[in-house]
Amino acid sequence: MMSDRELIHEYLKSLGRYLSRLDKATADEVIREIESHIYDRLEEQGAEVTVSDILDDFGNPRDLASAYVDHIVDGAPPPKGFKAIEAVKKGVGKSLYYGTAVFGYLVAAALVLLGLAKPFLADSIGVWTAPHGEAFVVGMISNQPPGTAELLGWWLVPIALVLGAVIGRLTGKLLSILKRQM
Amino acid sequence: MTDQEKFEAKWDVQHRKGTLELVIMAVLKGRDLYGLQLLNFLHEFETVTITEGTLYPLLDRLKREGVIDADWRQEEGARPRKYYRLTELGEKVLPTVSARWRKSAADIECILEGGPSDFNKAQSN
Repeated sequence: MMSDRELIHEYLKSLGRYLSRLDKATADEVIREIESHIYDRLEEQGAEVTVSDILDDFGNPRDLASAYVDHIVDGAPPPKGFKAIEAVKKGVGKSLYYGTAVFGYLVAAALVLLGLAKPFLADSIGVWTAPHGEAFVVGMISNQPPGTAELLGWWLVPIALVLGAVIGRLTGKLLSILKRQM
Repeated sequence: MTDQEKFEAKWDVQHRKGTLELVIMAVLKGRDLYGLQLLNFLHEFETVTITEGTLYPLLDRLKREGVIDADWRQEEGARPRKYYRLTELGEKVLPTVSARWRKSAADIECILEGGPSDFNKAQSN
């Protein structure tokens, strides 16, 4: 069981945390006034009132603090460092943009190259799958892994070319959307 | 809580919101009081009885708006207390706002009584 003094102390400490947006002197003054009020009321009303009654009348520290603090948030100019945050956001936008470009176009190019190379390297290009389908490999390998089956055969050529073209197109579209967001 | 009680409680809250600023300025006219004194004063009147959680943020706002001000004073042997008083601006706005209040109360009273008699006549013709 906390003593009256501890209860008051806890309440004011919690209030102080929620008031941290105010400058220190202002926050200290708010706390000092409330502390003085609590002890005044205890003296004045004696046995008729308990500390928790009084604290209930102040409401929970977070709500009380926000009544003091909210006006600072509303309509105030952006805090210092806001520009830096914007710059970081832009940075993320840029790396996302170039990342998307590199990844998308590389995949597209690889697929197109695969399709184009198939006629010349028929045996080492294809889509293989292990017998029970746990894994499969797309691409160019020097020796077909034992026990695997090639799935597509010559179908690989149109499929790779079309897929490559589609991924290239999609990448371009995605980039133009990202550019607008930057 | 019944719908009726809910409505009445909500109405009380809304009504108090609009009137408390005037009430506090009026209480501070001609007297400097600290928070607890103000609260005790308001507790004498049923419709303006409020808690600390309402009073202090309101005092803070009125102070920022410049109609009241406060300073710490310490009586001998007592703990320091923050006393509130009307500022020059507060002294200036109080009479106008009070007049608006009285006009509004009279208007509402008239409406509660059924509205101006000539309006009623005009409608029935």
